[in-house]
Amino acid sequence: MNQRAHATTVLARRRIFETLISPGFYVAQTIGLVLAYFLVAGFVRAIDSSGFDYQLYPAYELIGRSLVGAFGTTFVEKLFSEGPFLFILYIAFLPVLLYLAVSSVFRFGLEKKVGALELLTYGPADSTSYFLAALIKDILMTAIYLVVLLVFLLVAGVLNNLILGPSFYYSLIILFFLSVAIYAYGIFASSLTDNSASAIAVFLGLILFFIIIMMGSFTIVSGYVRNLASVFAWIIKWISPLFYWDLALRFVEVGDWGMYFIGILLLLVLSMAILIISHLTMKARGVRP
Amino acid sequence: MIQTKNLTKRYGKFTAVDGVNLNIPAGEIYGFLGPNGAGKTSTIMMLLGIVKPTSGEIRLFDETYTPKRLDLRRRIGMVPEKHPTGMWTWMTAGEYLQMFADLFGLEDSGRRIDHLLEQVGLAEVKNKKFAEFSRGMLQKLSIVRALLHDPDILFLDEPISGLDPFGVKQIRDLILEENREGRTIFISSHILSEMEKLCHRVAIIFGGKLMVEDQMKSMLNTLAKDREIHVDLEELPADLLGKVKALNFVQDATGEEKTLVVKVPKTGDYRKELSKYLIDQNLVPLSIQEKSLSLEEAFVTITKENINLFAGIGGEK
Repeated sequence: MNQRAHATTVLARRRIFETLISPGFYVAQTIGLVLAYFLVAGFVRAIDSSGFDYQLYPAYELIGRSLVGAFGTTFVEKLFSEGPFLFILYIAFLPVLLYLAVSSVFRFGLEKKVGALELLTYGPADSTSYFLAALIKDILMTAIYLVVLLVFLLVAGVLNNLILGPSFYYSLIILFFLSVAIYAYGIFASSLTDNSASAIAVFLGLILFFIIIMMGSFTIVSGYVRNLASVFAWIIKWISPLFYWDLALRFVEVGDWGMYFIGILLLLVLSMAILIISHLTMKARGVRP
Repeated sequence: MIQTKNLTKRYGKFTAVDGVNLNIPAGEIYGFLGPNGAGKTSTIMMLLGIVKPTSGEIRLFDETYTPKRLDLRRRIGMVPEKHPTGMWTWMTAGEYLQMFADLFGLEDSGRRIDHLLEQVGLAEVKNKKFAEFSRGMLQKLSIVRALLHDPDILFLDEPISGLDPFGVKQIRDLILEENREGRTIFISSHILSEMEKLCHRVAIIFGGKLMVEDQMKSMLNTLAKDREIHVDLEELPADLLGKVKALNFVQDATGEEKTLVVKVPKTGDYRKELSKYLIDQNLVPLSIQEKSLSLEEAFVTITKENINLFAGIGGEK
């Protein structure tokens, strides 16, 4: 094993250990699972003789209206076409995804600011092994949580006589790769900045930006500016992980599995490209703030 | 062991290090002096492979060194000026060292950690959280971390800055001991008095340029404006000072009880002439010693104001 691979392994092991002994990961998981529990319970209450109607449960009504407003009716119908679990999967996954991504970005910024990152690089580690270790930790923790969530929802499904449709499983897989791309963007934001606050601001700003582009909501502007924004959004969407996620899900809908896997592959290519850019940025900017 | 050729680092229009040439043989304690912002840290960062030079060449262990050479980097130990605060606070000293030992892939690391902690007097606090450590203890822990992988070169950035006198002595003794074991030591500091006690050779950097580089003893001689000859006499006659001051090679003379202190130009050794004169005056010199000025007396610390004095005597390298 070469020096970088060895350093990456040691740092990743250390990061995983630290995550497992700190309460943050468990708190985020608990929030996700509690949300999932209430959403399953709410779904059961929102079923009447004609089937599921999200308007029958206040929380679902509120969420449903918001989603329709943001993404349109088709998106919401697709989301609930196989029951509640697809929607619950996204909602329950969000706290853990945000916790892992933001905590890694925060730590990266902090370690850079106080000189801990520099101290690690005095040894055989370098900035690349450092961020790869953080990525490995995030990927592993994500996989663990997705398994926990899957088991939880399977049990909830059995208890409530509901099944997890095929879209759920396909979404679960793509969600995993989507999270990898989001963590890569976290590393990219960290490589651009010198402290935690600015790194988190850049990261959340990027994610928000991608969500806005996905929503295609340029209603606040009009005329020429709106057209310009649309062209800009069309160009930018290719660097948005949400675009590839959406693309893969569309292929699930039409049953084109080849294209579904290409969507996943494109997410991986995007993640790799972001990591390479981050590596080059870090090399150019150094480990000192 | 450490060689640089026209090492230069520019940040935009600002030149932090300007064509520095170093040649440090194995086993030497090399002092790298200069005021804050002179280019010391930038030079060290390049030598460590943390910062890429704008131009110039670095050779370590007779091989061209670039930041990619992680194999060469693992033969270097580095002690930064300050230990990172607020990180790894939950770790004990032993756990902290173990993390770095794992990074280096050390075998039998437990024994190595125990041995080094014993050496610096921290064995008893191995299982204490190092967040509770004093500045001196953290500095020693930092040195232990840097020595874990038995590096050939040890870099120390301001190793005694902010330490109490006892801590200074402990760190100094540790550095000397490591050097006796054959380690090449590169110390960056602005505290001249300590460099005088530690270094075989010193270089002074200012404005990114190497102003002077010399053996410590030669530099002290160069720095001293004059020399002092201390003569212990059986008695110090009242009229002696006036007579001595009149001698053509004497710049000044003072008396301290039975000791005659004579200032003479640094260009020559006037002990023989002085001794002969005193005997001619029927006085018996009990001892005669030349006392050169210490670096500390000349400059307690290098500042931007007095650096020109160094530049004037040494010329640019």
